[in-house]
Amino acid sequence: MILIGELALWIALLMAAWSAITSFAGGRTRRLDLVMSGERGVYATWLLIVAASAGLWTALLTHDFSFRYVAAHTSANLPAIYTFTSFWGGQAGSLLFWALVLSSYAAVALFANRNRNRELMPYVSGTLATVILFFLATMCFGANPYERLDWVPPDGSGMNPQLQNPGMAIHPPNLYLGYVATTIPFAFAIAALITRRLDEQWLAAVRRWSLVSWFFLTVGITLGMWWAYVELGWSGYWAWDPVENASLLPWLTTTAFLHSIMVQEKRGMLRKWNVTLVVSSFLLAILGTFITRSGVISSVHSFSQSPIGSWFAGFLGVALVITGYLVATRLKDLKARAELESVISREAAFLYNNVALVGIAFSVLWGTLFPILSEWVRGTKITVGPPFFNTVNVPLGLFLLALTGIGPLIAWRRASPQNLARQFTWPLASGLTVAIVLWVLGMREGYALIAYALAGFVSGTIVQEFAKGIGARRSMHGESAGMAFVHLIARNRRRYGGYIVHVGIVVLFVGFAGLAFKKDYDVRLKAGETFTQRDPYGHQWAFTAQGVSRFETLNRKVTAVALQTTRDGERIGLISSEKRQHVDSRGVATFEPSTEVGIRTSLRQDTYVVLAGISEDESAELRISFNPLVVWVWIGGGIMAIGGMIVMWPAAERRRREAVYGAMLPPARTVEIAAR
Amino acid sequence: MIRREFVAAFAGGSAAAVLAGAVDAQQGSQARSNVMGPMEQGAYRPVRLPAKSSSAPTLTRDERDQVEYRLGCQCGCSLSVYICRTTDFSCQVSPAMHRDVIAMADGGASADEIIAAFRNVYGDKVLLAPPRQGFNWLAYILPFAVMAAGLVLVTTVVRRLRTAPVAGIPPDAQADATPDELARLQSAIRDESR
Repeated sequence: MILIGELALWIALLMAAWSAITSFAGGRTRRLDLVMSGERGVYATWLLIVAASAGLWTALLTHDFSFRYVAAHTSANLPAIYTFTSFWGGQAGSLLFWALVLSSYAAVALFANRNRNRELMPYVSGTLATVILFFLATMCFGANPYERLDWVPPDGSGMNPQLQNPGMAIHPPNLYLGYVATTIPFAFAIAALITRRLDEQWLAAVRRWSLVSWFFLTVGITLGMWWAYVELGWSGYWAWDPVENASLLPWLTTTAFLHSIMVQEKRGMLRKWNVTLVVSSFLLAILGTFITRSGVISSVHSFSQSPIGSWFAGFLGVALVITGYLVATRLKDLKARAELESVISREAAFLYNNVALVGIAFSVLWGTLFPILSEWVRGTKITVGPPFFNTVNVPLGLFLLALTGIGPLIAWRRASPQNLARQFTWPLASGLTVAIVLWVLGMREGYALIAYALAGFVSGTIVQEFAKGIGARRSMHGESAGMAFVHLIARNRRRYGGYIVHVGIVVLFVGFAGLAFKKDYDVRLKAGETFTQRDPYGHQWAFTAQGVSRFETLNRKVTAVALQTTRDGERIGLISSEKRQHVDSRGVATFEPSTEVGIRTSLRQDTYVVLAGISEDESAELRISFNPLVVWVWIGGGIMAIGGMIVMWPAAERRRREAVYGAMLPPARTVEIAAR
Repeated sequence: MIRREFVAAFAGGSAAAVLAGAVDAQQGSQARSNVMGPMEQGAYRPVRLPAKSSSAPTLTRDERDQVEYRLGCQCGCSLSVYICRTTDFSCQVSPAMHRDVIAMADGGASADEIIAAFRNVYGDKVLLAPPRQGFNWLAYILPFAVMAAGLVLVTTVVRRLRTAPVAGIPPDAQADATPDELARLQSAIRDESR
């Protein structure tokens, strides 16, 4: 199987090249035999990459240390689940995983469009095959997972202990699924630009793929934050590290696209902008990969650096120039079909929302790349870390949160003053009430207060929208409130699923703002000694050290400290934190010692204990933190994912037909028909 | 391939080659500048300030911790001094930097004086946010400038579009359907739905 996999990788390279050439040639010459050959070539490439992946998994699971990749990322005593996930734990394997996901997506996209969008498909399959070809070439000539060692070591180096975590087992695949999904809309955009078929047809084909990308990026980023929080031990979940920033960039542009696509669908506007966003999302995904892997910017997360950065830079440059040329030469075909009628309209609100999202994406990219710019311009090394990003992005993020509440309140085309007054009254009252209550309760942290007030405002908007919808259904269909709620979402998944995503955003910001009240204490405790402290809510906590314990288990030597914990005199239980020294099957230490955090989670706050070290007198050096509202960050991410799934869920056939016919009508009449 | 496409393709290839070369150079310089490697324990350099005559500590413990949040550990971990020293017990750099902060705070130095002393020894890279001066202002101003420019642009475009008709759009693209057309369309939807 391993040999078949190795051969399959090289044949896949040739097959992808064939597919790219025949697809583009078929599209250009309008020869159906070449077009079909190109599409079959993509299917064949997918099968070959599946075989190559199966080969690598076989090598990993059978501990074949003659392969450099297996020896570098696994060891004989590594638990089977992490041996399996090591497939994407290193440079070469993660590239193969990327190619596997991309070719699978490509096969699904081609199959789904076998009877649709036929004018576009030769160029879609050609673009997809070209991107697959790039990844296969990078692997075959830059980072080959099947590279062999000159000698067979008795054991491998093992996996980085920080990657041996359930969150890390599923966080990278989700991010890859999100990153890679940006390729399909990109391929459709390129095809639409080449063929100059820039109507709304190609958008309909890519909307669901953009949602897939957004969904997996959301899940992947949330899981990544959770992993950083429970595994890295610094008591935070977002450090504005270049790799974290790289995952945020395509998420921001895809979110912007999912909003602005509605304007193009309803009003035929923002056509240039939408093409730009689709292309940008893909290029930012590639840029993020380049940042992660090139070592150009140092990052705490860059587990797999190698010289393939120049491959990615080259690819990025070529893609940038080609897409730039295509967009520049098709500007006339991208003219809007309608004009904005008012600055105070839903369309304009979407535009402002897009400016905010893209502005944040720019500021994140700018901050990430500024150290390189500074070194080029001034020759001075500087660091751009969390204090900078928080200074710049917190106000921008709050502006975006405000727009989340404002957008749904404004009517399409033009909002009248009466309409605005009616729509804004309750949400504004809700936001002001939250602000006043918190102020009276003594909250003085400016940004946190603004964040909670805006959360109240956006919540007011969402509740009002649901209340109106439920009220309308109850009066029209005589349904109970519960059934009306369910039917409301089921009948218009896109709109109300979107509102559920907004609920997730609000919850997320509530969790983020909780960090303003975070308290850290570094303490040293001998066995039997107690540390007492009040948490941000005023409760008195006591932590009594139970002494240091040392033991060996599985593939590690563990030093642990447990704290008997009480709150206001009531016993909470033990919170323990560990230092782990991982060893290979011969007991030889591998990697630096890692931290295992002790966390007691509640809806109000996390109590977070990190064992920083053991002194010579056997006293434990600990950091104890009270982290308010952290759990709401994970809950917010989960709600966003659920909202995304509701939006993605396919509509019933009848409603899909109605939507198609509706799209054929001018907007005003569409509304009329829907109302009948 | 027509001439214009050939020129575009050539320009793209050239740009990519230049970019790839620049990246290679950058990777090379990264490799050279990273000769100490990650977790370089020899990166510590003592930072001292003479104790003030009154010599009473002016910083509370929280304020001292905030100073350590603004300073980056120099071991290569990219964490702040506070986070690194309370997380990673194998690092010897952050505890040493922490001891320097304590010594200067105990000697009566203010937070700004401690930060300045670290900058003098390590340079600007010791700060986790670029100091707000000279070229670095660009880092702080540009994101807000871009956002403001975007908002102004959108508002201007919207206002202009309101007064100017869209060129090149056929007149019937904006036309409403007649009641008869609507009835036929609804009938078609019903038929398709059966």
